Amino acid sequence: MEATVAIENLRVEYRSRELGLATKVAVRGLSLAVGQGEVFGFLGPNGAGKTSTMNVLLGFVPPSAGSARIFGVDVREPIARQRIGYLPEQTYYYKFLTAEELLHFYAGIFQIPPAERGARVDQVLKLVELEHARKRQLKTYSKGMQQRAGLAQALINNPDLLILDEPTSGLDPIGRMKVREIIQRLKNEGKTVFFSSHELGEVETVCDRVAILHQGELKAEGRVADLVAQHAASLEQVFLKLVGYHPHP
Amino acid sequence: MSSHPLLVSALALAVALAAGGRLLVDQQAQRQETGSVLKLLLGESRRAFAMHVFLKADAYFHQGFYPSVFDSPAAAEAKTHLVEATEENHHHEHNHGHAHNQHRDWIEAFGCHFQPSEHRHLEGLGQAREILPWLRLAAELDPQRVETYTVTAYWLREQLNQVKEAEAFLREGLRANPDSYEILFELGRLYAENDRDVPRARIVLELAVEKWLRQEASKVSPDHVSYRQILGQLAALEERAGNLERALAHYFRVYQVSPNPATVQKRIEELRAKLAAPQKPPP
Amino acid sequence: MNTVCSLAKVVVLEMVRRKDFYVLFILTVLLTGTAGSVNLFNDRSIVRYLKEICLLLIWLSSLVMAITCTARQIPMEREQRTIFPLLAKPVTRGQFLLGKFLGCWLAVGMALAVFYFFFGLVSASREQQWPVLNYVQAAWLHWVMLGVVVAFTLLGSIVFAAPSSNGTICFVVSVGILLLGRHLNKVALGLPQPWQSLLYGSYFVIPHLELFDVRDLIIHNWELIPWGMVGLATLYAAAYAAVFLLAAIWVFRRRPLN
Repeated sequence: MEATVAIENLRVEYRSRELGLATKVAVRGLSLAVGQGEVFGFLGPNGAGKTSTMNVLLGFVPPSAGSARIFGVDVREPIARQRIGYLPEQTYYYKFLTAEELLHFYAGIFQIPPAERGARVDQVLKLVELEHARKRQLKTYSKGMQQRAGLAQALINNPDLLILDEPTSGLDPIGRMKVREIIQRLKNEGKTVFFSSHELGEVETVCDRVAILHQGELKAEGRVADLVAQHAASLEQVFLKLVGYHPHP
Repeated sequence: MSSHPLLVSALALAVALAAGGRLLVDQQAQRQETGSVLKLLLGESRRAFAMHVFLKADAYFHQGFYPSVFDSPAAAEAKTHLVEATEENHHHEHNHGHAHNQHRDWIEAFGCHFQPSEHRHLEGLGQAREILPWLRLAAELDPQRVETYTVTAYWLREQLNQVKEAEAFLREGLRANPDSYEILFELGRLYAENDRDVPRARIVLELAVEKWLRQEASKVSPDHVSYRQILGQLAALEERAGNLERALAHYFRVYQVSPNPATVQKRIEELRAKLAAPQKPPP
Repeated sequence: MNTVCSLAKVVVLEMVRRKDFYVLFILTVLLTGTAGSVNLFNDRSIVRYLKEICLLLIWLSSLVMAITCTARQIPMEREQRTIFPLLAKPVTRGQFLLGKFLGCWLAVGMALAVFYFFFGLVSASREQQWPVLNYVQAAWLHWVMLGVVVAFTLLGSIVFAAPSSNGTICFVVSVGILLLGRHLNKVALGLPQPWQSLLYGSYFVIPHLELFDVRDLIIHNWELIPWGMVGLATLYAAAYAAVFLLAAIWVFRRRPLN
């Protein structure tokens, strides 16, 4: 069976605009596969290449070498993103729109028939518990509400693959719990979730498998339980060991 | 000695008040001289704007059909038709440089459909009023531009029958240009032709002659055209009033500066004949 | 097309919710009203200067709106990163740009409709006539011209990083063409070679925005422009807008988003 996300020998380079500066390699020969229905954690310290990999998956940056496919379609084809939901780390939405308008807008982008749009918008607003604020402009929302609105837009097309970039970043404990519940619910519905996070405890709780990236290279990949057993340490200790961090005694 | 600081303070206050008062008076005087906010805002560049606005009035007279400096620099510099129309014997045809039906390329040919491309004048009843705002603005921008007042007054009284407004505007011009024989001539013409007020017209026109003599007579190339116009108007006025001898005296002065003395001579002969003829008893 | 329309709708909503249009419209109304209240030789039926001032303000306002609205679209999308969740959806960069173009063009079109209606009121208040077809022609040509301006501002917003510099450049270029475009050939004829060929060449290359400026015809109540000519002018503007949009799409597709 074909993997939902398939990355092979991916290399991402950024050419510097300034003369004399070397080309920066963000990802080196990354290969991984995410199966259908999996919750996949993508871990790594800042600058490890997580965002660059996600940018390739989302078609923002072309791969310098190698390939990336989603549902068997090259990520450079816009149609590859038809069944994706993406939640960025920060809330990057048109703040002058209401949550309802934003969701109708994205529903239009996904060519959801107008007759079904209303019902779909109601459904996701209910899921993220924003029904009461649907007519308010996003600029009046708290950070947690904005993040939930972001999650709602990521779910508007009932995606089979969710790409979440630090979904709980900056949220209070209740907000985190709500997002975690939503991910769990999506997992139960058989959706594939690909998400990056610094919250190792969270990853341990919700992920089936994880990949640890450091300086653009894949350091480890596997089931959380297997990694923990293999290194005889907690996920946090495994992570710190793999990224070469040695705490002072 | 303890009163010294108080004295110094009082002196300083007095000096400050005096200086402030002086500054205010100076500023006030300057403001009166400056005339308008436009002068303060635009400085001397307002004269260039006034010229532009005056040309705008001419463009309005031609219903928007007007050459630019790029079309024909000579035409742009020439006397505007608006001014020509105020002068007597202006019935000659005029053109505006490059004929608009001679297109240099397809863009010009295509473009002529989107701009006025036919020579037309404001000819409908009272349509000439449309040029007035620009003339008014030209006078605001440059109150020393005498032509603005004379042209505006001509159109007001000749085409729009607004004699009172024409007179008020000329008086305004006269306040800004007290030595202008051109404005006095136009005012005299208004009294003579529209108000039929002979004594008033005579005073104003004679004053115009006086101003002309004071300003122009000693020049190497004086403005003879204006002089002839004033004297001609004065002569005609006296002739209409029955003062043939005075009319004759004015025609003599016209004769001396006329480029066409034969015509003036003929008029003088006619007047002499009239004078020689026995007076008819009043009916 | 659905995607493009959805994108356009958001741009229109943004324009409606921003204050730019309202400020410019109120300013136009106030300035026209002030000009109209001036006593000119006790004659209340003088109208053409008022039409001229009103149209000038409409032209300036529409240029400001079209350029500022368009110039900020892409830089703002990048700065506020709203472009990322958007392009993470099945939207091509071409559709994204077309949506932005259509939105800006429709938004200024809506603003123009309001402005020209006001102009009609001003004109009718003193002229006691309402040559609707002439106004429709003028507004249409104006709108079509703004399509070209929006397209090249969109291209500029990809080439130049800062919206302010792009806005200034586009405004100067637009006003420059409007004022001098039709005279470039005459100026060229007075120049020595190779400047003559260079300037004459650019005369044929630039979009002649001044063709669409029919204010003089409206102010002085000239007859209707032949509809065929209006159609040709529309095609001319559409061709230029298409060229600028294709260039914008070509450049934008090569720009990495990070």
